[in-house]
Amino acid sequence: MATRLQYENNSEIGVFSKLTNAYCLVAIGGSENFYSTFESELADVIPVVKTSIAGTRIIGRLCAGNKNGLLLPHNTTDQELQHLRNSLPDSVVVQRIEERLSALGNCISCNDHVALTHPDLDRETEELIADVLGVEVFRQTVAGNILVGSFCAFSNRGGLVHPHTSIEDLDELSTLLQVPLVAGTVNRGSEVIAAGLTVNDWTAFCGSDTTATELSVIESVFKLREAQPSAIVDEMRKSLIDTYV
Amino acid sequence: MVQYNFKKITVVPTGKEFVDIILSRTQRRTPTQVHKGYSISRLRQFYMRKVKYTQENFHLKLSTIIDEFPRLDDIHPFYGDLLHVLYNKDHYKLALGQINTARNLISKIQKDYVKLLKYGDSLYRCKSLKVAALGRMCTVIKRIGPSLAYLEQIRQHMARLPSIDPNTRTILICGYPNVGKSSFINKITRADVDVQPYAFTTKSLFVGHTDYEYLRYQVIDTPGILDRPFEDRNIIEMCSITALAHLRAAVLFFLDISGSCGYSIAQQAALFHSIKSLFMNKPLIIVCNKTDLQPLDKISEDDLKLVMEMKSEAMKTVIGQGGEPTDDSGVLLTMSTLTEEGVIAVKNAACARLLDQRVEQKMKSKKLNDCLNRFHVAMPKPRDQKERPPCIPQAVLEAKAKITVEKEKRKLERDIENENGGAGVYSASLKKHYILAHDEWKEDNIPEILDGHNVYDFIDPDILMRLEELEKEEGVLQGLGDDDDFEMDGAELSSEEQAALAEIRKKKSLLIQQHRIKKSTAESRPTVPRKFDKDRRFTSERMGRQLSTLGLDPTKAINRARSKSRGRKRERSVDGGVVDSMEVDGDQSNKKQRLRSLSRPRSRSQSRPPGELVPGEGFRDTAQKKKAIQMAKGSSKKRNKDARKGEADRVIPALKPKHLFSGKRSNGKTQRR
Repeated sequence: MATRLQYENNSEIGVFSKLTNAYCLVAIGGSENFYSTFESELADVIPVVKTSIAGTRIIGRLCAGNKNGLLLPHNTTDQELQHLRNSLPDSVVVQRIEERLSALGNCISCNDHVALTHPDLDRETEELIADVLGVEVFRQTVAGNILVGSFCAFSNRGGLVHPHTSIEDLDELSTLLQVPLVAGTVNRGSEVIAAGLTVNDWTAFCGSDTTATELSVIESVFKLREAQPSAIVDEMRKSLIDTYV
Repeated sequence: MVQYNFKKITVVPTGKEFVDIILSRTQRRTPTQVHKGYSISRLRQFYMRKVKYTQENFHLKLSTIIDEFPRLDDIHPFYGDLLHVLYNKDHYKLALGQINTARNLISKIQKDYVKLLKYGDSLYRCKSLKVAALGRMCTVIKRIGPSLAYLEQIRQHMARLPSIDPNTRTILICGYPNVGKSSFINKITRADVDVQPYAFTTKSLFVGHTDYEYLRYQVIDTPGILDRPFEDRNIIEMCSITALAHLRAAVLFFLDISGSCGYSIAQQAALFHSIKSLFMNKPLIIVCNKTDLQPLDKISEDDLKLVMEMKSEAMKTVIGQGGEPTDDSGVLLTMSTLTEEGVIAVKNAACARLLDQRVEQKMKSKKLNDCLNRFHVAMPKPRDQKERPPCIPQAVLEAKAKITVEKEKRKLERDIENENGGAGVYSASLKKHYILAHDEWKEDNIPEILDGHNVYDFIDPDILMRLEELEKEEGVLQGLGDDDDFEMDGAELSSEEQAALAEIRKKKSLLIQQHRIKKSTAESRPTVPRKFDKDRRFTSERMGRQLSTLGLDPTKAINRARSKSRGRKRERSVDGGVVDSMEVDGDQSNKKQRLRSLSRPRSRSQSRPPGELVPGEGFRDTAQKKKAIQMAKGSSKKRNKDARKGEADRVIPALKPKHLFSGKRSNGKTQRR
């Protein structure tokens, strides 16, 4: 099931939230609407935690994580770190890392098994990612963009990448990640996928500007309903052609 | 892509208002004071400015009108023709042309009068010329009054036109009046078009939107068309014709097979054949409506033949698109808007055929190659034997399985917020959902900084284990005994010693009293530390004397004092903190104070050693600097020892009485201003 929502009239909800298979982080906002949308979908299953990181609300862009762990940038305060340690189950390792590129969410994209990282990340950081998140790490670009965390989003079941990714790149990335991939957009044509979409293995949340076509692509590729990724080339092909061309 | 929005055209004022606006602006925005005595060039300048300013404003206002109204030749032919049908192209162009001429005329008037003003020789003459210029400009505007009124009317009408996008997916509904076109659009969209049982209820185009296969379709309801020569058609019918002619849409031709609209099937067929040229290259569907009154298979044979004729005509549009000639589904459909039978089938057929046509056209375009990657699903090739299963909690799967069962609604944070005064008033606790060993720990406060230390640096996940270890160790130590308890207590002293103690205490209190008296009468003289001993009251001789009066041998004490006053030998300093804290552990009374004083800030910046050479100070080397410091100290030694006034002391050079100080301001005194 994919849900459309907004954070204080802003559709870039991936900026203000971080969703994984073991927990969900949500930015602190003026009202509880944003939090409650996540709460109603997830709170029975995984903890939904309100937090700030480095005193900001752009938590989705600053941290990276999966069901095994959570990586926080060096400017996270001690209080925030303690708050997160208290709120997350003990099975999730919370680690603050000394990395010059502090927007980890923009530099790292991962599921529970594989991670793509920014090519300029430190070697120590790479090791930490492998240890804390328990993943294989690949230094990659997505459609020529080094900010892999911004321009793709993937779970253990599928992934959506920047719309200008070539077919060869798609195949290569898909083999690396071992999940089906599709090039697409969110939020009515926005190419910053991870900013408009946050996804785990059984649910997805996307910005309220997302069109019905985009939403159905998301639901198929992430296998959120009965739909399979192959539906994109079969049933939806006509709609897609009419929208894009 | 061009967006057609006629709602943002500025209001066109009537001729009279126009003149008022401009003249009052000239009055407000140009200088108004003039005097006979001014030099003539200044007078000319003054009036020229008024004339020029007025013309500029006229020009500006008229230009906005000309620019903002759409030029019929430049916009999409659908809108071009629609505006022609509604407002008459010639009339519209004429009105805009008149505005343009007026603009030029006004410019010419301004030029002429400015030229004349150059020769004005008095204030009166200049003023008359200005009045004449403005008057002529106003006359020009007054003459185009009717055109302005006409344009304003058109503006108001255009603002109410439906926003039809000529390039998007469109379904067009047409047919005779009263055959059920508006009922159909009301069924498939939320347009809410007026439906009445008489002809020409719909007098203009109406737009609604519907969804099919993740896409949005624009549905246009047109007014009914009668079968008559093109020239005889009225404006209402012409709207339909324009839409049919220019929009690339799927056309639904509605047929009332019951004849309850007042027109027979033959008449409707005649209309179909007369406008069939408009259906060229468009997906056409013939919709037989009102089957609740008359099913299609019950109509007379002649009528059926007419219907089949139309169907074969419609089939040509299928073949024209390269479709299968045998595939006749989705060309002739029956429905009833009353019983809603077949309504959705009609909509789906129309949408599907339109989509097919559009996709086919787009497949031929070059742009398709740019987005080929977006119709590609990359499936992973296995690269190792590792399995990478998805991770879905059991609870989710269970919840999905019993989705049909109504689950009780969870009380959300949003509900709690609304109960407690809404957003901005309610502030949720962040600690509410902590996962801790004991629930009562949740709200515990942990300070951020304690005694200059960042508490978080000392937080240790293994703290409990270590505490246990420490306690064990302590227990062992406690077993060894605690015999070094020492306390001064009067009870253990002999009577002689007690007398001596009383003497000492008495003397001590006396000294304190003396000191206090001295301090209270000291006025502002500096209190000199006793060690400087200005009055030489604390000599070892005197001590000896006093001790002998007490009947004690003073030699030992004198020797000890002497040894203290000698220069101290170098010795190794004791490592401060740790030892101290261990020693004074038993002392309860000032524990807090002790802790505080012992906790030093962790990272103290190191100050520069005094002798270090700093460039720019003017010393040759470290030795010279050290010597200079030494000399400076030596020179002030005597003075400091005597507690005398030095150059670094605060000085009030001339003591003034209070009234000369108080109440002074930068600008005189408080009383005398």
